[in-house]
Amino acid sequence: MKSHLTTPSRTATLAYGAIGIILLLIAWQWGSTKVVSKSALPSIPDVVSALRELVVQGSFWIGVALTLVIALAGWAIAAVAGVALGIAIGIFAPVQAATRILLEFLRPIPAIVILPLAMMVFGPTTKMGIFLVIFGVMLPITAQTAAGVESVDPVMRNTARSFGMSSREILWRVILPGASPYIGTAMRVAAPVTLIMAVVAGMLGGAPGIGNALSVAQTVGRSDTLFAYVLVLGCMGMATQAASVSIERRLLHWHSSYRGEQS
Amino acid sequence: MNEAAVNTTMNANDELALSRKRRVRARRIALRVLEIGTPIAALAAWWFGSQNSQNPFFPSLREILIEFRKLWLFDKFGSDVIPSIVNFSIAYIIACVVGIALGILLALVWPPHAMLDPVLQFIRSIPAVALLPIFVALFGFGNGVRVFAIALSALFPVLISTVDGARGTEPLLLETARVYRLTPWERLRWVYLPAASPQIFSGAVVSLQVAFIVMITSEMLGSAHGIGALTMLAQKSFDAKGMWAGILLLGILGYLVNLLFTLVQNRVLSWYRGAQQSESAE
Repeated sequence: MKSHLTTPSRTATLAYGAIGIILLLIAWQWGSTKVVSKSALPSIPDVVSALRELVVQGSFWIGVALTLVIALAGWAIAAVAGVALGIAIGIFAPVQAATRILLEFLRPIPAIVILPLAMMVFGPTTKMGIFLVIFGVMLPITAQTAAGVESVDPVMRNTARSFGMSSREILWRVILPGASPYIGTAMRVAAPVTLIMAVVAGMLGGAPGIGNALSVAQTVGRSDTLFAYVLVLGCMGMATQAASVSIERRLLHWHSSYRGEQS
Repeated sequence: MNEAAVNTTMNANDELALSRKRRVRARRIALRVLEIGTPIAALAAWWFGSQNSQNPFFPSLREILIEFRKLWLFDKFGSDVIPSIVNFSIAYIIACVVGIALGILLALVWPPHAMLDPVLQFIRSIPAVALLPIFVALFGFGNGVRVFAIALSALFPVLISTVDGARGTEPLLLETARVYRLTPWERLRWVYLPAASPQIFSGAVVSLQVAFIVMITSEMLGSAHGIGALTMLAQKSFDAKGMWAGILLLGILGYLVNLLFTLVQNRVLSWYRGAQQSESAE
């Protein structure tokens, strides 16, 4: 739906956006030279040169790759396990009854709670990071999938059955497609969480990746490198978000709740 | 003769209905037993399975509970649990109040919105915990800084969803408000806020999670007090019992905070749920 407010032209919006960014950069530069000590808030040229230093290092790209691997691997495992469990919960009443209280209790607990245990058991490894990511996003995906399965019209299910479809066919051709918008939303919501957990695993737990590089930069007092890493993380966050939105749209373009958006 | 036949069929029908009812009831009871029984069984399995545990990472549940009582009830309660909860609550309330007020303002006045939007989108994309080292570098690690860091990282989800919610207000509502000549204040209170409230709450619950994560991370990063700090300390000194006691407490707190949020949400949004239901009934 269009906004009711006076909708400004696209160029005006872009121009104002650019002004906002420039104002922020000016404030940053001014603050770094005039207000706070230079070691705390590095100036823009310092951060840019730190960034250029990083970009030519192989270890930087390995860190970026490892962070992405932790986030994506955890995401994928959590998705497969969470969707499978969610479908079982949505279809079989006994499974739903057996898991309801446990899920209700465990789902709202943030994964960071389990970090000390993961550190103790796995040590500062990639595996620990992946474990944390899985722990962080699996149960919300499970719950959303179960809700999606329940939202499938019973008439559709019964129609499929009276057409003589086997239960496996019903699962693949009726239930999964019907639940897919819920699953898509859950996956998209999980995207930023996977990145947060991958960074936390490095920052606090010493797992390899950008999180670890961040805490190293902090302890040695290289605030220009620190800022450079945070900027890189912001770009990674935007990229994952944009990617998850566009994948969701591409995979679910056929569904009625997405068809409206395109026209 | 006819009557007798009718009677028998009726009896048969009754019996059929009765047995079906019985089966449904038996099934419902079985499900209820399963629902309550599984968590109890899981706890019992943990209790008895860990009873003679020699594994350094997984001490017995009994020892964990003893440690839990020793630590949190009430030895460290005043010095560590209360400050964590107070920091969290103050920061979260600040984030919500500022986020909703600023969000409505940005939604209604477009030049600042257009100016801030790209910057906000970028800052929101940075994983909140990554901002913590910057705060530490800038302001040191006092308690005020910690509250500020929690509030700032929790601000963005609620702020952005408030902007979206208020901008999505139905034009018909606004035209009606104009016809009735509502004052700007009345329009804010009775049109914009209610229209945006479902979205505001969906942002506020994300903020809640972020605030909780940043609260614990800030304590784990470097602090003498707080539940996160104690739990991390126990982990670093290989005190598995203390660590488990901390995990247990943090888990319970995480659950309770969410429960409280859901209660408030259900109360505030009861009109919305009612409207949705009557709409689908039509």
